[in-house]
Amino acid sequence: MSLVAEAFVTQLAATEPWPENAALYQQLKEDQILLSDNASSLAVQAFLQMCNLPIRVICRANAEYMSPSGKVPFIHVGNQVVSELGPIVQFVKAKGHSLSDGLDEVQKAEMKAYMELVNNMLLTAELYLQWCDDVTVEEITHPRYGSPYPWPLNRILSYQKQWEVRRKMKAIGWAGKTLEQVLEDVDQCCHALSQRLGTQPYFFNKQPTELDALVFGHLFTILTTQLITDELSEKVKNYSNLTAFCRRIEQQYFEGQERDSAAIAARSSKRSLLR
Amino acid sequence: MGFGLSHGIKLVFSLQKYNADYDLSATQSADTLAFVSLLEEKLLPVLIHTFWVDAKNYVEHTRKWYAETIPFPLNFFLPNAMHKRHLQRLQLIWGDDYMEDEEKLEKELYREARECLTLLSQRLGSQKFFFGDSPASLDALVFSRLAPLLKAKLPNGKLQQHLKSLQNLCNYCTSILSLYFPWDGGDPLSAAPRAAGTESTEAEEDPHKRRKQLLSVLVGLAAMLGYAFLSGIVSIQRGSVGPAGRQPIAMEEEEEEEEE
Repeated sequence: MSLVAEAFVTQLAATEPWPENAALYQQLKEDQILLSDNASSLAVQAFLQMCNLPIRVICRANAEYMSPSGKVPFIHVGNQVVSELGPIVQFVKAKGHSLSDGLDEVQKAEMKAYMELVNNMLLTAELYLQWCDDVTVEEITHPRYGSPYPWPLNRILSYQKQWEVRRKMKAIGWAGKTLEQVLEDVDQCCHALSQRLGTQPYFFNKQPTELDALVFGHLFTILTTQLITDELSEKVKNYSNLTAFCRRIEQQYFEGQERDSAAIAARSSKRSLLR
Repeated sequence: MGFGLSHGIKLVFSLQKYNADYDLSATQSADTLAFVSLLEEKLLPVLIHTFWVDAKNYVEHTRKWYAETIPFPLNFFLPNAMHKRHLQRLQLIWGDDYMEDEEKLEKELYREARECLTLLSQRLGSQKFFFGDSPASLDALVFSRLAPLLKAKLPNGKLQQHLKSLQNLCNYCTSILSLYFPWDGGDPLSAAPRAAGTESTEAEEDPHKRRKQLLSVLVGLAAMLGYAFLSGIVSIQRGSVGPAGRQPIAMEEEEEEEEE
């Protein structure tokens, strides 16, 4: 989008209030969605809940291809489509809702840095586990990723995606890592997050911010998704303040919802992964 | 996604053995990890683009810079190989056609890099180092990213201008330079491609450079002469015009053939 068009769209976004029929698109919850996409989707849902903005979750098999950037989740608000947490936060800010307005400059810098840390380490570790660990790839990823499609399309699509992800891993230097090293990195990341959280209810004391939403999305998904082994969730369980943090956010923002609640979503994926 | 994030973490932990991070509190260590991620994710790819992929900068500055200090004969192809490798990496991370989409590049990527610099500036504030009065590994990493950007004479220096507008970061870089790299005070550029410590050995390498050049020319000459002798193009005959005579005759024959 050119600069002028983007400015125009932002103006437009600012003038329209949040509609009632805003929708969030992700892959099929029961059979198709993978760990990393589930985490990202949950993070966006948590963020919108924290802003008190209503959103419906719609599951489509081709959500990835509908997305403007190729990544899920994306939201459809009015006549605009925005994908990924970063741009969604900015879009929501243009509409006048923000969680981080009360932070000073130094805190904003730290928040951005910690969000990068989660993206860099947790998300990459999830991708590594899903696409580069042979056992997980064979038993979980391949069957799930192509499940809505008939043979041989399902195999072709999942091999194509695997090739793409492995190329990226090589570019960033993660291809040479072993699973133990990846789990070590996850542990360091959780350690850093745990230190930063301390005994506070949220990362920036009283009010939740987008960092809390992002951390919740990833940690909750890791804790409640059953994989081949429990090593990943064990790393997170070592830090009691992180598990308490997840429980607190779940209770505050997702309890009492019949559908699309985080717990039900995670439990269903857990059930279906127990093959 | 972090280029050398694990590298950065190893840096943090190995330095702990050497006490650079010994005095940091747990929160500060966590902050180090977070800021390392921020740097590697937002700033480093754009720095690589600025130095290695941006056409003007690469041709007029970086390639010359490296070619002057890399020993002969590697200086002919090593900078180009590095350029290709960096371009490939950036294409994998940002998408294959990111070079064509000028606006996206300028708007999103450079903007995020500028924002990253501003965030670093805000975090540093008016302190001497990031965590108080003594330096830690984060200071080393930030310095290593910022100093080349600050000091290099880039023709296309959008990011550089933004850095120069952040006064506290400039002062921070120059103070670390003067504290820990005092021999570089006058001319930090010549040693910048390698670690600053090797600047003293650069003068010693010059006679080696000459010697290597001379040797390679001699070897080339010897190879040509050897081939000429062995294949019979040139042969030593007693007192005849053999060598000189043969070649013109051969050339005349070729000309006749061509005319036909």
